[in-house]
Amino acid sequence: MVVYNFKKIAPVPTSKDFVDVVLSKTQRQTPTVVHKQYAIGRIRAFYMRKVKYAQQCYEEKIARILDEFPRLNDIHPFYADLMNVLYDRDHYKLALGQLNMARGLIDKIGKDYLRLLKFGDSLYRCKQLKRAALGRMCTLMKKLKSSLEYLEQVRQHLARLPSIDPNTRTLLICGFPNVGKSSFMNKVTRADVEVQPYAFTTKSLFVGHMDYKYLRWQVIDTPGILDHSLEERNTIEMQSVTALVHLKACILYFVDLSEQCGYSIKQQVSLFQNIKPLFEGKPLMVVLNKSDMKTVDQCSPEEQELVKTMQGANVQFITCSTLTEEGVTGLKTVACDALLTHRVNTKISRAEKAGKESSVLDGIHVAMPENRDTSERPPIIPSSVMARMQQGETTKTQRKLQKEIQEECGGAGVYSMDYREQYLGLKKEDWKFDIIPEIMDGKNIADFVDPDIERMLEELEREEEEREARGEYDEDPDALDDGLTEVEREQLDAARRKKATLRHESMMARSRNHPTMPRTVAANRRGDLSARGRSMDEHLEELGYDEDIGARKRARSMSEARGRSRTRKERMDVEEGEEGEAMDVDGERAAKKMRMASRSRSQSVPRDVAGHAYKDKTQQEKAKKITKKVVKSAMKVKGKGTARKGEADRHVPNFKPKHLLTGKRGIGKTDRR
Amino acid sequence: MPQGDYIELHRKRHGFRLDHFERKRKKEARRPHELAEYEKKAFGLKAKLHHKKRHQEKAVMRKTIAMHQQRENKHKDEDVIPSGAVPSYLLDREGVSRAKVLSNTVKQKRKEKAGKWAVPLPSVRPIAEEEVFKVVKSGKRKKKAWKRMITKMTFVGQNFTRKPPKLERFIRPMGLRVTKANVTHPELQATFQLEILGVKKNPQGAVTTQLGVITKGTVVEVNVSDLGLVTPSGKVVWGKYAQVTNNPELDGCVNAVLLV
Repeated sequence: MVVYNFKKIAPVPTSKDFVDVVLSKTQRQTPTVVHKQYAIGRIRAFYMRKVKYAQQCYEEKIARILDEFPRLNDIHPFYADLMNVLYDRDHYKLALGQLNMARGLIDKIGKDYLRLLKFGDSLYRCKQLKRAALGRMCTLMKKLKSSLEYLEQVRQHLARLPSIDPNTRTLLICGFPNVGKSSFMNKVTRADVEVQPYAFTTKSLFVGHMDYKYLRWQVIDTPGILDHSLEERNTIEMQSVTALVHLKACILYFVDLSEQCGYSIKQQVSLFQNIKPLFEGKPLMVVLNKSDMKTVDQCSPEEQELVKTMQGANVQFITCSTLTEEGVTGLKTVACDALLTHRVNTKISRAEKAGKESSVLDGIHVAMPENRDTSERPPIIPSSVMARMQQGETTKTQRKLQKEIQEECGGAGVYSMDYREQYLGLKKEDWKFDIIPEIMDGKNIADFVDPDIERMLEELEREEEEREARGEYDEDPDALDDGLTEVEREQLDAARRKKATLRHESMMARSRNHPTMPRTVAANRRGDLSARGRSMDEHLEELGYDEDIGARKRARSMSEARGRSRTRKERMDVEEGEEGEAMDVDGERAAKKMRMASRSRSQSVPRDVAGHAYKDKTQQEKAKKITKKVVKSAMKVKGKGTARKGEADRHVPNFKPKHLLTGKRGIGKTDRR
Repeated sequence: MPQGDYIELHRKRHGFRLDHFERKRKKEARRPHELAEYEKKAFGLKAKLHHKKRHQEKAVMRKTIAMHQQRENKHKDEDVIPSGAVPSYLLDREGVSRAKVLSNTVKQKRKEKAGKWAVPLPSVRPIAEEEVFKVVKSGKRKKKAWKRMITKMTFVGQNFTRKPPKLERFIRPMGLRVTKANVTHPELQATFQLEILGVKKNPQGAVTTQLGVITKGTVVEVNVSDLGLVTPSGKVVWGKYAQVTNNPELDGCVNAVLLV
């Protein structure tokens, strides 16, 4: 249930306040310090933020006003009409429309100036653009001065409107001015309405509440209505008309028989007849008030006749006096009961109309077109269709259902339906049950099937069996006669083994994730490095060649890298060899000298650090072996992994690495020096 | 009186509080003191706004006071024009002071003499080329500097098509393009927003004119067909020149005066 309470609308500031609030808010909520030596991007951002903020601020504030004010299309028609009467619908909509328009324009201004600010190349220019932007926004707001003032007045008035619930149980009091409407109101409720002995004491709608049958009842006191046409009615009267039109209430039409109010009975009755359409479908009480002064019986016959003209289907006459309180309670009970029964009846009739339990459809009215004249306009049905329809009705051909057939043929699971019966669109009926060829890749599969294939397979199998039975397959499959001698076989084996090892080696070499060495270089280096192991000399010897020193040397000189040698020893070896065997060759020596001269002086290289303490290489090797053994045994004792550094070991990291904490720091040299 | 006005209703029924008017008077009397207190304390923007408001209020007050006192003042005119029988030759001299009118006519004549093409803004501040054209660096290493971006507002014709961006020497950013100007008609004293048809002359030079740069003092052609101006021969005037009177790049809009 919507509760109409317009008291919560926030005050609408005047245009001047609006501008002040937004500007000072922008000033307070955005940064204020900027200098021209800042990076231009920063300056731009600074001013763009201001413009954007001001725009958002305006937008928020306007949006709030637009949200809070009720939209005339959304509220109950009673309130919509009342607002139209009080504030003029057009004016109201125009004011809100202008606000909405201003919001859009301010948004646009904000966008435009943000775009311009992106090209601002100096602080001055950015500042000027910001100033222009805020200035234009404020000018727009200044132009809304009158709209805002109007809206503020509307708000104040709206907040003071009595909170009338248009849907609840309501008694609506109406009649000429000064006939005792407000007095009755004061009697039945605690509204404490002003009662004065002059017309139009009540200038707006008043609401009071009372209890009857443990229910809450709303009593609405309306200003008096005069008897003239709708166009001539003023705002005060229009309020009561609005209430009469839109509120589903029990209407108490007050008539002053004593004519103390200054209007004759005739006038009062004619007003009743005038506004009768407004009472349509509502319980109506004609209250003959001021019975202490004059009752119907005391009236002249003409007056009585006049009063009788007010009679109708659901009109009740009640006599009461608000002064002496005679009949007031009776009026209240009768009116309330009438309204209750009326409400219950409408609900029931609606429910009946809509069906049993369609409470949702209660409120829906389905319009049925009325006949414009008496002539019948039945739907046109072609005669053939008509004939068939009639025939169909008379002779219903009972088709045998598949279900029945299934039952006959053994039930579900046993019977399967022949779908081919259902095929449609064949030229001849008996084609339905023809075998459909299976087609693959545009070819009939049946064409490629040898009709004798089964027989041929059987034959083959039989033949195989026979062979087995004859023992053709009994021979040892391993015994092969290759016609080789024992020696040859051994050689072959050796060759194969070697091949296998070579393959394996190369695989190992390749599988390492290292840059591969070109084969040419690799060949040279192999000769160089393998000097100590199985070398080319040995190989040559094996093959039965004498050591060809010249060739070997040439190979060496070619393979040797220039510059310093890897070890001292190596060089010594070479020199010794040369001394011993090629001393007498003069040319060789000269060449060597030249070579030495051409080479840059090789630097002295320290010996292997680990080898310092050892007498010679063998000792070093020995020591190494012993260390390994010891470590191994230690591991064995404590278990694998225990001797290693692990997570659980206490580790003191270097908290203050000296190299990082001493000396001057240059730019960006905090953590790498 | 609507239902919610409790105070009004109460006053209607029971009247004002006994000390209501005294309190009101005192409150009124206290106001200047309170204002002074606030003015002493206020600083910054709030103070600025407040003082401006007070200044205006005071001006209005002074005027109203002056208006009320006017009757007591001696009016100059009454003194100047002697009542009673006065020879007619004396009437001319006194009563009207002509000094101002004369100077006005002299000015008018000078203005007319100055020439047909005198514009409202005869001289403008020269703008350096570096200010108008910002160098845009290009190339992979950003070492080429032959591109220029125009930092002022520009007018670009409707059917203008950009060169391929790679070859474009002068970039006229979309954000700084304008198509409309707020043109004031100096005689009608009315302002219209009119379409710009073209840039006739930019006082900063030929290059800026060609590129359609609009700075202060630029003469632009505007579409005045909506104003319904007619030439002496009876044709409808289509375009007219107007001179830009503001700095468009600072204000974000183009304001101009129609040259009539």
